[in-house]
Amino acid sequence: MRAFIRKLNWLLARRRKEAELREELAFHLEEEAEELAERGLGVAEARNAARRDFGNSGLVAEDTRAAWGWRWTEELAQDVRYAMRAMRASRTFTALALVSLALGIGANTAIFSFLDAILLRRLPAADPESLVLLRMHMRQSEVHGMEYHDGSFKTAGGGFTNATFAYPAFELFRNSGVFASVFCYQSAGGLNVSIGGDARIADGEYVSGEYFHGLGIRAASGRLLEEADDRAGAAPVVVAGFGFANARLGGVATVVGRQIRIDGIVFTVVGVAPAEFFGADPAAAPELYVPMHANLLLDAQNSYSPPAGRYADPNVEWLNVMARLRPGGTPAQAQAVLSGPFSEWMRTVNTRRNRANLPTLLVEPGAGGLDGLRREYRKPLALLLGVTGLILVLACANIANLLLARAAARRREMAIRLSVGAGRRRVIRQLLTESVLLALAGSAAGIGLAIWGMRSITALLADGREGFTLHAALNWHVLAAAAALAVVTGVFFGLAPALEATRVDLVTALKQSRTGGAAGHSRFGLGRALMVAQMGIALLVLVLAGLMVRTLGNLESVRLGFDREHVLTFHLNPAQTGHKGAEMTAFYEELRRRLAELPGVQAASLSVLPMIGSGQAMTMVSTGKEEAKATLIQTVGPDFFRTMQIPILLGRGIEDRDRAGAPYTAVVSDGFAREHFGQRNPVGEHLRFSECERCEIEIVGVAANARYGSLRDEAGPVVYLPYGQAAFGPVEAMYYELRTAGNPLAYEREAREIVRRADPGLPVADVRTQTARIDGTIRQSITFARLCAAFALLALAIACVGLYGTVAYRVARRTGEIEHPHGAGRAARAGCLHGAA
Amino acid sequence: MSKLSRVDLLQGTLDLLILRTLALGRSHGHAIAKHIQRTSQDLLQVETGSLYPALHRLEAKGWIAASWELSEKGKRARYYQLTAAGRRQLVEEQSRWEAFARAMGLVLNPNPEGTA
Repeated sequence: MRAFIRKLNWLLARRRKEAELREELAFHLEEEAEELAERGLGVAEARNAARRDFGNSGLVAEDTRAAWGWRWTEELAQDVRYAMRAMRASRTFTALALVSLALGIGANTAIFSFLDAILLRRLPAADPESLVLLRMHMRQSEVHGMEYHDGSFKTAGGGFTNATFAYPAFELFRNSGVFASVFCYQSAGGLNVSIGGDARIADGEYVSGEYFHGLGIRAASGRLLEEADDRAGAAPVVVAGFGFANARLGGVATVVGRQIRIDGIVFTVVGVAPAEFFGADPAAAPELYVPMHANLLLDAQNSYSPPAGRYADPNVEWLNVMARLRPGGTPAQAQAVLSGPFSEWMRTVNTRRNRANLPTLLVEPGAGGLDGLRREYRKPLALLLGVTGLILVLACANIANLLLARAAARRREMAIRLSVGAGRRRVIRQLLTESVLLALAGSAAGIGLAIWGMRSITALLADGREGFTLHAALNWHVLAAAAALAVVTGVFFGLAPALEATRVDLVTALKQSRTGGAAGHSRFGLGRALMVAQMGIALLVLVLAGLMVRTLGNLESVRLGFDREHVLTFHLNPAQTGHKGAEMTAFYEELRRRLAELPGVQAASLSVLPMIGSGQAMTMVSTGKEEAKATLIQTVGPDFFRTMQIPILLGRGIEDRDRAGAPYTAVVSDGFAREHFGQRNPVGEHLRFSECERCEIEIVGVAANARYGSLRDEAGPVVYLPYGQAAFGPVEAMYYELRTAGNPLAYEREAREIVRRADPGLPVADVRTQTARIDGTIRQSITFARLCAAFALLALAIACVGLYGTVAYRVARRTGEIEHPHGAGRAARAGCLHGAA
Repeated sequence: MSKLSRVDLLQGTLDLLILRTLALGRSHGHAIAKHIQRTSQDLLQVETGSLYPALHRLEAKGWIAASWELSEKGKRARYYQLTAAGRRQLVEEQSRWEAFARAMGLVLNPNPEGTA
């Protein structure tokens, strides 16, 4: 080590050293000359004698420099220079190799960086490994046609996993003593946040008092929420997300103590969460953290489940629960201890669940947080990684093939270098320098490509979504691994021919013409095998991409049962600006009327949910069948079926007269009618739901089947309820739908103006065409199909580059042979001349 | 190639001679060559082409250290002197050489004679 540092120092001082050496040698000459002169020689004669005696001063200097110990660097520089020259000499080879490598390494690094960001991402919490996530598992899915959120999903072996719990269940966990801390959270959705009169929608998260403490998060400024904040009647306080504090509160430092209006209620900002904190769900990035019990203020008008009653209700499941294990505890232990009491609790306290399908408790590692995002992206990303892996294989095969072709052609060059006295090791080192240099240059280009690719993929995935939290950082491990693979490929395929080439019988090799002759042929088998494999891989990737594009095509052309074109949709939540009850219904109706009157708008309606995206389900208690069964519910306004262009098959649609005070009415889908009434005419029959067992709801019409909830599932049974009747309590947020002539987005400005005139404090949110909304639900598939297609083209391009390069190289090297089929002598002579030059 | 083998031949001995010379005190390259020549009664001619590479090699190994000083005639000269490591190396190499020379002498001739 010390020797190395000394060498390094010398390297730095090389210039000075050169000068010193010159001076030292000059001094020696002078001394010698003086000594000779003292012995009686003339000055000039003495000088000449001394110089004669000294010998070749250049050589002395050169030999001395060699003793300084940086010969290796000089040789390296020489090798690099030579490699550069060799690369320049065969530009095509170099360009093809570099392009293949850069594409292979770039694609892999970009995709793996994403996979890494998603799969290996840990919650930004203290000791994430001791966090657990609570879920429950049911043997079968309860509802048809729903796409679930918040960690709910169909389990692989049938059955269904859900991650929402009732508050009493949360208390059961908290009081069990199994965990060091238990906390819960729930999305508050878009909150109407008014700061100094500027009202905008911000993502909120309800969190229990132990949330921040349990996660082990420290405030970036001020303090975070504590248990005392999360109580009924506590002063309304809120913690701002870091980004939100900067964007809307004018910086982290000045936030504490600020007062903001959330849904019209004044909250005090007590602190700011750290910049790297994104909540417990990697898919979301809340802008505001609100104490759970603040929903008593903010969610008071909730139609289906007023929060006041929700805390005690064992049947309303609405909370995501996480916990921190006690030191030394494992998820399995916790599950073993808790599953008994939980099942018992379900059996005895819960009254609404199907007795035959009661859930069991799962305690799972929670270091990654709620893993909806991971589930959403894991498979497609893994697939893409497979594809890019193949691309890297293709790239490496390219390098191998090109190097093999070139090595065969360079046998003669090697023979010449060996015969003029170059050491074999030196020649091999020289060839390796070339390979490594190539790999390094390729990797450097790969980094550039990866950075560009990651930006493009992030843009593709986010697709305009704000608060998209999936940000991949350049994954240096992968980059290093890919580069190492490239170097190894280069070295291996460069070394094998190099070893053989340097072991050649010099005389035979030198006698051979420049074409490489027999050596070229013997290598051709391997080269051809590589090319065949390359084409096979490229074809495989192409087929894969074709399948994905085809699936996407099927999804895009699926028959929805309604007309998705020419519909403008947007979201309003007047409950947040103080509208309530009958007044809100009137507000909605007035808005709907004005929107429908816009020139070019053919029909306007509203619904609690857009048709495709998520669904809502309720439990029917009696439809002539004994068993309680959940069914999909869509709550809509008048003219809904005309706006969406869903044909009414029997009876009538939802109309203006279906309002509060009138008898409860519903329109059912054809599928619902067939399932529950068979061939009978359902019009005039009655329904009852567990949410309001007294309410006799009369079926007034049958609508054709339309997909609701998931785009992928067939249209299932749906019950349409008039929003004006508020059978299960008043609605709050609604989506408006406007059927327009021409481009729906052309009506956005006018629609916004109408809403602004009706209520200036009410933000119009989520303005999109129906088509864009539906595409949004398959955005992931669209994105991945596009990426896969792009990668397939890339694979094909690389394979073609390889094929072209190898063939072109061989042809170029054998031009002499081809041009002079009978003139072997001439070819050999030409080769000799070239070799000498 | 031949150049390398000459260095190989000289290396051990020349290094030892330089170290031994510097054991008497610091000196510059020319003086070292002259001293070796004089004390060997002109039997050993130190070539400049070998001397300077050897000096710089020994310096690189840390056995001798160099500094610029004024010669007796008042000219700037590069003076070398033994380091502690060099002193140890000298003891080691000298004993090895003496053992070698004695062995050679015993085998070849009862009348020992140094060669370069």
